[in-house]
Formats: sequence, structure tokens, C-alpha cells
Amino acid sequence: MFYRFSRLMSLVACMGLLCVLFGFGYGTTPAMAQEKVIKIGTIFPLTGPVATAGQRCQAAVQTAVEIINNKHPEIKTPLADQEGILDGYKFVLVHADSQGKPDVGKAEAERLFNQEGVWAIIGSYNSAVSKPASLVAERMKRIFMCGASSSAALTQRDMNFFFRLAPTDETESVEFVEVLKWLNAKKDANIKTVGVIYENSEFGKHAAGEAKKASEAAGLKIVCDIPFSPGATNLNSEVQTLKNANPDAVLAALLGADYSLWIRTMKQMAWAPKIAISYCSGYQDPVIAKQLGPDADFFMGSTAYSPQFASLMPAVADVEKIFKEKTGGVPFDGDSIQEAVAMLVLAQAIQKAGGLDPEKVAETLHNNTWDSPLSLGGKVAFAKGGQNVKAHSVVTQLQGGEYKRIFPEDMADTQIVFPIKPWNQR
Amino acid sequence: MVGRSVELKTFSSRDIAWLAFLALLVAVPFIPAIAANSFRLHVLILILLFASMSQAWNIIGGYCGQVSFGHSVFFGIGAYGAGMAVVTYGMVPWPGIVVGMILAAVVAVIISYPCFKLSGHYFAIATFAIVEIFNRVFLVWDWVGGALGLDYPIIKEGIGNLMWHQSKVGYYYIALVIFVIIFGMVRWLEGHRFGYYMRAVREGQETAESLGVNSTAVKLIAMALSAAMAALCGSFFVQYNLRVDPPMVMSLDMSMKFVLITILGGAGTLVGPLLGASVLIPLQEYSRAIWGGLGGGVDLIIFGILIILMVVKQPDGLIGIIRDVRRWLSKKRTKEEL
Repeated sequence: MFYRFSRLMSLVACMGLLCVLFGFGYGTTPAMAQEKVIKIGTIFPLTGPVATAGQRCQAAVQTAVEIINNKHPEIKTPLADQEGILDGYKFVLVHADSQGKPDVGKAEAERLFNQEGVWAIIGSYNSAVSKPASLVAERMKRIFMCGASSSAALTQRDMNFFFRLAPTDETESVEFVEVLKWLNAKKDANIKTVGVIYENSEFGKHAAGEAKKASEAAGLKIVCDIPFSPGATNLNSEVQTLKNANPDAVLAALLGADYSLWIRTMKQMAWAPKIAISYCSGYQDPVIAKQLGPDADFFMGSTAYSPQFASLMPAVADVEKIFKEKTGGVPFDGDSIQEAVAMLVLAQAIQKAGGLDPEKVAETLHNNTWDSPLSLGGKVAFAKGGQNVKAHSVVTQLQGGEYKRIFPEDMADTQIVFPIKPWNQR
Repeated sequence: MVGRSVELKTFSSRDIAWLAFLALLVAVPFIPAIAANSFRLHVLILILLFASMSQAWNIIGGYCGQVSFGHSVFFGIGAYGAGMAVVTYGMVPWPGIVVGMILAAVVAVIISYPCFKLSGHYFAIATFAIVEIFNRVFLVWDWVGGALGLDYPIIKEGIGNLMWHQSKVGYYYIALVIFVIIFGMVRWLEGHRFGYYMRAVREGQETAESLGVNSTAVKLIAMALSAAMAALCGSFFVQYNLRVDPPMVMSLDMSMKFVLITILGGAGTLVGPLLGASVLIPLQEYSRAIWGGLGGGVDLIIFGILIILMVVKQPDGLIGIIRDVRRWLSKKRTKEEL
């Protein structure tokens, strides 16, 4: 009898939960206690293989909003010395989890606009998620600010409401090949062959395509092209293929834990190329660099920010204090800082446009150059299609766990260690 | 005359209840609380879609007893059929949908024929491998977009392009039509000779064969039907999301949804997939909407706990719970009468 009763209770509990959630509870936009608010949605991968990167991006937007909403005279960024914008408007964030899946990202973008009533969205880290999510915004004529997604295809769609802060994999590829040419010219490096290894996703495939294009244009021979499934548990065959082809240089596009696995597998197989340069994420993630310890040293990559850039970007230090409170002491990295910049630039544009008409704000974003002390170049300006034409990154090398600036030469703070030291000589 | 009496016989009171339910579903977009709330409509669309997908799986997995973990392959072929028609060839999606369904059925027969020689767990394991193979092939196959996938351009909305930008009502009615087609077909199969053959194969292949049922032919036809219906659902999925890439459609994750929803609702029953989707999809969508933004997967933890509770409390699925409740109520009534 008791057993049957418990079954009945299970049914009642489930139905009750469904009624609360589906019928009466969630789904209507809650009335805001304070009227002068601008709701901004964020969509990041808060769960899944790149969850830690997504959570840091979310924390970066929260940091920017804290600076804009409150008076922070000690912080040298625009809008920090006042409370809110437009005579008292404050930002409220509504967060969503894309799980790194395009269909989930798209559904969340629709929910944020239609149910939560957000005015704009910032996101979505994964290029494959940013694409459909920003399409939702474009169809609704709402602004979509994209901090870190690097696929060049995102800004080749002639969209009017899409703005991307990070450099694209196209510009990064050209920069990487410039490094190889510079090493050949200055260090007599004799780099003739290139291998590419990349996760088989929108981000990786696009990055690899640009890497091959730039390398071939510079007369370098591609000797291996190795895609792998993201979230891999074993990269032995991929590294073995690399080892057999033995390219002088490797250009790599690996996110999060895949990057650690790649480095560790190369160590196991006692092989490393003369030089390896990585696109964003795995390489520039300070947590991963710390986990890898000395194994991470002498690898290179593009970096939009690291704490070692303090002399170039003095305004970051005070902002980073707030950010670290939210991340348990982890500093900004090149991806997360772009999301903070996205929020700060959007707020400046609303302030300058003098209102909340999305078309007017989008036009203002296009027509102006924005001060951005959290960006490497110090400025942000958008071309048609939404690419930040002032986006800069420098090529760094990890030495003793620190990101040392190597290229371009006028921004360098350290000499390059070339070639990569063999594993048994570290 | 005999045929007519059979028709009348198979049109039961249960069918009348179904028709009343469908009439209610037709009226749903006119209910103000749902019409004004696109998220609720989104959840309803997903319930109809996933119920239809799971019903497609139910043909082979539930009625025929062949547990396939490879249905995301057929779902993906349907998605790519519609996607390539629009993105690659600049056409309307309809021819792509038909081609996708036919291709899925053909692929299902080709890969199932050797797999059906395996039995029990070995068949399930083989279908697992097929998903991985197709996933890898589509990831590196440039003609279908490779890892970059296919992204829809913004084109004119309407039934012709099977695409709506401002409202979800069009998508809702298309999902409802797919639901009616697949559930109607399964209902028809239940009362048809072929339906009995499928159940006979499920209960015991050797026994069925001893009674003259060609079990291989039955399984292959069921698989082809099931795959074509899964492809139809896949084509709707891509039109709804306006993007397709291999991890979105041809993944073990997607295959598990086909199986999980049916088993949770009650495999081998007409109403099971609808019950399973009606519980799982709102849980998945609302838990993500409410707790997803907190980070750390709180929504997924709660979702997981609820599934475990369901499975532990009633392994027969929701249909089992309903049967228990009905039995309990009728016993109570009998006691009161006494």
C-alpha cells in the first residue's frame, strides 16, 4: 500500500512541478522593481568541455557592468567615474547557458529577447554558437556583441547588428606566418614545412583553412593536416601523424583541455616541432598554463591580454581586481577581457546615441572610434559587417609560466627561445 | 462490407480521445497565454518534434524490439537533405526533404541488413558504431559542409521556404502535421497485420518464424519506415534551427534522446513517446531557462536527478505509473462499493 502511495506521490510531484514550471510559473517577463534598467543577455558555454572559459567570459561582463553601474573613480575606463548611463539607467544582466551547442544557443537567444526582454546580447564564445544566435538578433533588429569568437565567417555576413571585438583567425594566421618569415630572416631558422592540427569544428576548421592559405601564400609547404574531434580523450594517433610528418612549424587550434592533452601527448612521444603557434583559448588560458607547468613553456600563441601586459595596459589592473573576486583569483585572459570590452563599448555607444533605439545605437557603433583602455590597441572601431578593425594581439611565448611578448618586435619584451627545447632538457 | 466493419471496429473510443486531443492541439496557438509567449510555443514545438522522433524510433525499437542507437544518422540525413537543398542549391527545402527520407530509408536497409544478423546487445553496439562512422565522415566531407556545417541565409518566410522569422506559429503547425503523420501511421500499424508481425518478432523471432513470419523482411521494412520518419523530423529540425553540423544531428547524444524519451514514456505503446517528450522536454528547457544561467550545470544536475527518480520509481515508464494509478483508483472504488 505504502509503495503504491509513494508511486502516486511521485506522479503528483512530477505533475505539480510541471504545472509550476510550464503552466503558471516561468515564461512571463517579470516586472522590474526599478524602471530605469537596461537588460542585457549573456550567452556563454557554462557547462560542457569549455565551461571554465565560458564562466570567465560571463564574469568579465559582470565586471564591466559593475564598473558602469557604480562610481569607480580609481578605474581609468570610460563611464567608470559615473553611476549608470543616460541619467540614471543601470544595466541588469540575464545569463544563459549555451552548453556549447548551436541549437541551444539559438533557443536561448530567442528566449532572452522574447521572454526576458533583454535589449541586447553579449556572447557566445563558440563561433558555431555565435552564428545562429546572432542571426536571431539580426532578424529582430537587435544588437549582438561578440567578444571572443574568432571565425572570420562571422563578420563576412554583411550583418547590421553584429559587432565582434576579437581579431579573426584570418588576421591571426597572417601574423603567425609573419613570425615564421621573421624567424627565417633574423634567426636563420630554415622553416620550410608546416603542419596544422585543429579541432574539427567551426572554429578549428576555419582557423586551419586560414593557416593553410597564409602559409602557402608565403611559400611554406603544408606537410600534414590533422583534424580531431573536440573533447578528445586520446590524441596519440594525431600526434603520431605529426611526428611522422615532422613539420618545422605547427599551427594549432585547440580549445581548453584538448590543448593540455596535445602537449602531454607530445611529451609522452618525446617529440616537438621547432616552433608551435596556437590560436586562442587553450594556449592563453592561465589555468591550463599553470596546470601544465614547465611542459607549457616555449610554446607560442596569439594573446590579446595577460597580466604580463600590465605596462602596455595600465588601466586593466584595477578592473582585474573586481574580476578576480568573481573568478576566485584567476586573472583575465585574452578571451574574457574581450567580453568586458564588448560591454563597455556597448554602454558608451548607448550613452553617445542618447537613447535605446537599437538601429541608432548600431549606427553609432559603426560611425565612431571608441576609447578602450582594456584593448591592446587602446581603441575599438567597427567595419561594415561588424569586425573591430583596431583589434590587435601579440604573439607571445610561455617562458617560466609567463606570457612573454615576442612579436611584433616593437612590442617585444623578451627574446624568443628557438627552437622549442627538447623535453629531456627542461 | 467486411472491410467496412473492420474499419469501424478499429476506430475505437481511444481514437476519439486522440482526435479530441489533436483538436485541442490545433487550437493551442489561439490560447492567449501561449500565443503571447514564444518560449511556451517553443517548448510545445520541441515536445511535438521529440515525440514524433521517438515514435519513429518506437516502430523499430518498441514494436519490433530491435534497440537501435543509430537513429541520429537517419535524423541527420533528413536534416542534411533539407539543408543542402536550401544552402547548397538555393532551392526550397521540399525536394531535399523527400530525397532525405528516401536516402535515410535506403541507408537504413543497407546498414541494417548485416546488423540484423547480430542479436541482442551486439545489434545495439553495432548501431553505436554507425553513429560514430557517419559523424566522422560528415565532419570531413566538404560537399556537405564538413565541420563548418551549413548556415541558412535569411530568405523570405512562409510555407514555401518552410521558414518563419517573426512568429513560431508556422513552425508549430508544421510540427503538428509531422506529429499527426507519424502517430497516425503508428496507430494504423498497430491494427494492421504488419503491426502484429512486428510484435511477434519482438516477442520471439524463432517463434514468429515458425508461424511463417519472415522476420528479416519485417525488421528491414520496419527499419526503413522508422528511418524515413526520423529523417522527416530531422528536416524539420534544420528548418527550425537554420543551421546544421554533424555534432548537432549525428551524435550519440541525439541518439540517446530517441531512446530515452521512448523508454521513459513506455516503449511499444502509442502514447509512450508523447508522455516521455511531455515530461523530458519541459524539464530540459525550463530547468535550463531557470537555472542554466547560474553556471556549473545546476539545471543538468536537477534534470538528471529527476530522470533517475522516474526510472527507479517506475521502470515501465510513465505509462506504467498511469496504469498503477488507474488500478489503484479502481480498487479504491470497488472497496467503496463493497
